[in-house]
Amino acid sequence: MNGREIGWAIIEGMIAGMRPSVKEEVMDFEKIYTRYNVLEEEKKAGLKPEALIKDMMPSEDPWKTMAYAVFRGDTDTALNELKIALEKYKPQEVVDKGLAPGMNAVTKLYDDGVYYLPQVMLSADTMNTAIQYMEQTIGGKIEKKGKIVMHTAEGDIHDLGKNLAKVFLVSSGWDVIDLGRDVPVDDVVKAVEEIKPLMVTGTALMTTTMTAFPKIAKKLKEKGIEIPFICGGGAVNEDFIDTFDLGIIAKKAHQGPKYAEAALKGMSWEEIRKKRHEIAPI
Amino acid sequence: MIKRYTSMEYKNPDDLVFGKALYPVSGRFGINIGAGFVVPEIKVAPKPGTEKDLETFVEHHKEITTEVLDICLQLGYKNIMIEQEHVFQQTLNPDYAYETALAQVEIAEKYHDEYGIGVLIEHTIADIRKEEEEGGIRGSDRTHRMFDAFEQSSSAGVGSVAIETIGGKEISDYTIGRGDIKGTLFGIGVCGSEDMAWVWPQIVKIATKHGTIPAGDTDCSQANTAMFLAGGLMDREVSHTVAAVIRAIAAAKSLVAVEAGAIGPLKDCGYENPIVKAITGVPICIECTSICACAHIEVMGNLNRATGDVYSNEAVEYHQEFGGSTAEVWTAVTGNAADLSNTALQARQEKILRDLLTYSDMYRDPQGLVLAWPNAWRIGKVITEYGNDPYLRSKYAAIEAGNIIMEAYENKKLKLSRWELDTLNKAMEILNSLTDDADKFIEDCIKEYKNIPLFDPKNYGWTGA
Repeated sequence: MNGREIGWAIIEGMIAGMRPSVKEEVMDFEKIYTRYNVLEEEKKAGLKPEALIKDMMPSEDPWKTMAYAVFRGDTDTALNELKIALEKYKPQEVVDKGLAPGMNAVTKLYDDGVYYLPQVMLSADTMNTAIQYMEQTIGGKIEKKGKIVMHTAEGDIHDLGKNLAKVFLVSSGWDVIDLGRDVPVDDVVKAVEEIKPLMVTGTALMTTTMTAFPKIAKKLKEKGIEIPFICGGGAVNEDFIDTFDLGIIAKKAHQGPKYAEAALKGMSWEEIRKKRHEIAPI
Repeated sequence: MIKRYTSMEYKNPDDLVFGKALYPVSGRFGINIGAGFVVPEIKVAPKPGTEKDLETFVEHHKEITTEVLDICLQLGYKNIMIEQEHVFQQTLNPDYAYETALAQVEIAEKYHDEYGIGVLIEHTIADIRKEEEEGGIRGSDRTHRMFDAFEQSSSAGVGSVAIETIGGKEISDYTIGRGDIKGTLFGIGVCGSEDMAWVWPQIVKIATKHGTIPAGDTDCSQANTAMFLAGGLMDREVSHTVAAVIRAIAAAKSLVAVEAGAIGPLKDCGYENPIVKAITGVPICIECTSICACAHIEVMGNLNRATGDVYSNEAVEYHQEFGGSTAEVWTAVTGNAADLSNTALQARQEKILRDLLTYSDMYRDPQGLVLAWPNAWRIGKVITEYGNDPYLRSKYAAIEAGNIIMEAYENKKLKLSRWELDTLNKAMEILNSLTDDADKFIEDCIKEYKNIPLFDPKNYGWTGA
């Protein structure tokens, strides 16, 4: 034994010899708590994720290989396939037939409680890298579902929530204009006025920075702009958001695309706010 | 000046218990922390809109401070810590920091003089630095304003100052959601530690000049982000086993504040504090769901109360409840929790209560397991073994946390889902494959993560990168 091993042997002896004042061996922890996630997973033990989404995926190449590459977050394969495909097909076709089905499949498994956030993030990274590559290649933008302006409130540098929500929106085919963090109220209003998005989002961590949201909403209304203003973040709650027009609470990043789809269908901010639990369940 | 810990101050893990620290802290207005009793802590986020002007803001904080101290009198509490986490406007504007502190200190002094109650007013300065500002996080206008806020609050007479530094957050924000343990180790254990080693000596200098306690730092912006995303048992954002491993890395990072001269009580958001207490012997603030559900509902329940010296509600927005304002209600919650522990201390039954608090949550979740006092000590021991190298101690703290979880799983004490098990195995495989050469690791990570938005090696002193 070297010095370190001897040291550890002493420590392990100390730990082994240490007797808590309450005897662990008499306790039945299952009578205190249940790890419901373990039970829930056991119920799904027989499920094979790829079998669940088989019907959503293309059956022929190059789309099949490309879609599964997005599904598995395999960026190299996705890029290789799309480079070949671009010689024969238009970029929009590549997105619609190859990339999007893979992303939709991952999102479905996440919504159904089978997949986890890191799996969605990796697929989204693959999808977004592929789209960026194509946009650079064709020197223009791939057609998107609509524009969404995102920002983090003035005075707030905590933008993780915004960035997660952005991943969900971009990978679902939305054109996101990210104004960044600590964005002044007037800059948000100006951007919305100029860009004319379908929806605007804001995130805030603090009680004293989320107060920017009603100011933005008021200014937008004064300019006759009545689009859904999706608000989320650590300190943000629906009691506050419901106090001003346009505001709709979001508690999870994955709710963004669902709200955007509702706006695309023509639902007003009032309708979305009223039906939010139905439109974007947590 | 950074003085690394290469041995444990707590020689015997069984000595770790609430209300007692090896090195208690004393301050103005009769406050003693870690001196044989637990002190409750209250933190109230101001009502939205009160930041609109200085007068309204100061008046609101007078209201909060007075309500807290009045309820302490009504319920017979002997001590209280009133922490105020600066809002953005307060750190940015020196007069907001100074005037609020002055008003709070005057009220604290009055109640202490009149009733003998021990009061600690703590100001936590907001880390408002932005990587994209000219000068980066080490030299921008906001960096100077942040240090000025320490001056202002300290010179107005607050008892202690603290911060939650954001170094490495741009990396960990990207990697945590993607389940990337290597990047998270880099963001927290290396970048975060480097940033703290730069920030903290300056904080200690300012605080000491004014006779203010340099209290501590936390990994709120990183490990708590992982915990927050990990959420409850049914959430699927971040694996709970990985969140537990990240917590161990956070301990190696938060330790830097003490190495630079912070003396505690270490800041409440740091769920990793039991590990840092085991290493350093300084008193700690803690939070867990039973006393901070107003801010966080996590799976640690009662567990951190087992080793805490200050019990905090973490944060609550000011508003009215049936029992009173949230300032009053949550002072009552933390005060009663503290007094249960104080009763155990007086009855010489503190280790029984400690173990009950621990067992109530130890196997509920891996995140609680690694913070249970025997395990907190084990992780601390590994950190000190590699104490001179922030990277290595973070890496081996993470591996030790993984070992603790696997042991509990294999002994059938802790149940894990397949996902939790798979993600832990993957994380352990990656951690075990990493080099032991810090320079090589940093060089490799700078290359690998160079495209993460806002990451600039210069912010961490790697000028040659």
